[in-house]
Amino acid sequence: MAWRATWQFGLILVGVLLSGCGNASRMDDAPVPDLAVPEAGRAATLSLACSGCHGPAGGAIAGLENYSAEQLQSEMMRYKTEPEGNSVMHRMMRGYSHEDIEAIAAYLGAEQAE
Amino acid sequence: MSPLYHSRRQLLQGLAGAALLSQMALPALAQTRARLVVVGGGFGGASAAGAMKHLMPAASVTLVEASPHYYACPFSNLVIAGLRELDAQRFDYDGLTARGVEVVHDRAVDVDSIAHTVRLASGDQLAYDKLVLSPGIDFLWDAIEGYGREAVERMPHAWKAGGQTGLLRQKLEAMDDGGQVVMAIPPAPFRCPPGPYERASLIAHYLKAHKPRSRLLLLDAQDSFSKQPLFEQAWAEHYPDHLERYGAADFARVVSVDPDHMVLTTEFDDFRADVANVIPPQKAGEIAQRAGVADATGWCPIDPLSFASTLQTDIHVIGDATIAAPMPKSAFSANLQAKLCAVQIARVLGGLGPEPTILTNTCYSFISNDAAVSITGVYSNDAGRLQSVEGAGGLSPLNADPAIRTAEALQAETWFKTLTQAAFG
Ligand SMILES: Cc1cc2nc3c(=O)[nH]c(=O)nc-3n(C[C@H](O)[C@H](O)[C@H](O)COP(=O)(O)OP(=O)(O)OC[C@H]3O[C@@H](n4cnc5c(N)ncnc54)[C@H](O)[C@@H]3O)c2cc1C
Repeated sequence: MAWRATWQFGLILVGVLLSGCGNASRMDDAPVPDLAVPEAGRAATLSLACSGCHGPAGGAIAGLENYSAEQLQSEMMRYKTEPEGNSVMHRMMRGYSHEDIEAIAAYLGAEQAE
Repeated sequence: MSPLYHSRRQLLQGLAGAALLSQMALPALAQTRARLVVVGGGFGGASAAGAMKHLMPAASVTLVEASPHYYACPFSNLVIAGLRELDAQRFDYDGLTARGVEVVHDRAVDVDSIAHTVRLASGDQLAYDKLVLSPGIDFLWDAIEGYGREAVERMPHAWKAGGQTGLLRQKLEAMDDGGQVVMAIPPAPFRCPPGPYERASLIAHYLKAHKPRSRLLLLDAQDSFSKQPLFEQAWAEHYPDHLERYGAADFARVVSVDPDHMVLTTEFDDFRADVANVIPPQKAGEIAQRAGVADATGWCPIDPLSFASTLQTDIHVIGDATIAAPMPKSAFSANLQAKLCAVQIARVLGGLGPEPTILTNTCYSFISNDAAVSITGVYSNDAGRLQSVEGAGGLSPLNADPAIRTAEALQAETWFKTLTQAAFG
């Protein structure tokens, strides 16, 4: 129960925190995020789409918890580049740049590395 | 099999890392004590409430939902066709309560965007720092002459799931073999663009199996429609004797109905129905009008970066109620918009600005009991609008091996489980 939500949104949190480079004006009582890795914000929001289908439900779509960043990246790149591929993943990954795929893979892969 | 479509065994491992990371991350945003209110506990609102509570655990998150239970629309067409039970569509809010969301079962009747308050039918007021509206759709009653609230018993819409879903199924089951089923399809935009055609496929499937002398007639205000080549191929292959469609070019938009005599009238003719399913034209849920976030179209313009209303400050709108085309009005979209909106609210409360990203949508439609087709879209949200990414997205292949259709039906089932667990689990 708890881990379901954690898997989905644990991912998000890291990105929100890491992206606190903070030159935007702050509200007085707002927390001050302390790490400056602005790219993580995009990696986190890009990865939100994945949990629309990939989760712990079991069945025909794999959860993503078990894969390293390298595995995720090479799979996503395969989907992006196979010209004849017509699965949902093929059609989707064609819309992502190489950099975005790398960012998603690193981001979701980091979950598993911990 | 590719590693991303996978066996059950591997799904159940590897969660410890995720738990650890999120615990490490919790303290920083825990500081915001903002009052966050969500109206509407469907795929958008339930997802937004859960995500915001997880991101900002010290904030108070209140979800206002009129009904004690939620009946999911996705897969409800299978219920109508007798292939699934209505109970499988029913979800409650205990999961969200356990996650620390305060769930209030009441109807929001007004929003004061200046005072930042939501008024409930009970008379209670809720104050908010940020308000997220996900009210779904309401119908434009009497846009089809004669189709008002009182007509839905005789001519169910079944476009909000629950009692209406069961009612349409009962009417099909009670119909004599040889009867005519007529479905009225509204002009775009409406909830779930491929939904009427999935329903048509499954009703035809039911007729072919149980009432072989009956047929389904589609009276469609649209000329072209979502997944059209795939549906037309499926209909020609499976239901040539059980389904017939007239479109806008045939003047088939239904302009009036007579529920007492079960007659539907288009721009050129009258059609008698033994069972009628009227899907009325739609607008954003009524509370959007009350809050001043809907424009003259009846739908809500948003800033696509954060789904903030462009008409009122500190109000975000997600899901079917929004103007988010080319993103369709789907449960997948509502859930993704909810998560993105929650992240951006957290960023803004943390002193950061929203930043652009890539969004997607995938909708599966059943064409028979065990076969489905899909549509996928990929969207960018920079430059002030949502835009399809060129060269990406699209339909399942035409003339596909049946194994592909079966595989997509199985993927659809997993998708439904994953999404409903994420929203309501
Ligand atoms: C037949 C059919 C099939 C579909 N199939 C699919 C599919 O396969 N895949 C897919 O992705 N999508 C599908 N959809 C679309 C999907 O159901 C919607 O896009 C989705 O429900 C939108 O979520 P939402 O949060 O915007 O609205 P909803 O899910 O409708 O939630 C709105 C909630 O707000 C509550 N509410 C409204 N106003 C108030 C108020 N003033 N006060 C309190 N509560 C209020 C309502 O009670 C409701 O619970 C289908 C739809 C239909 C009709």
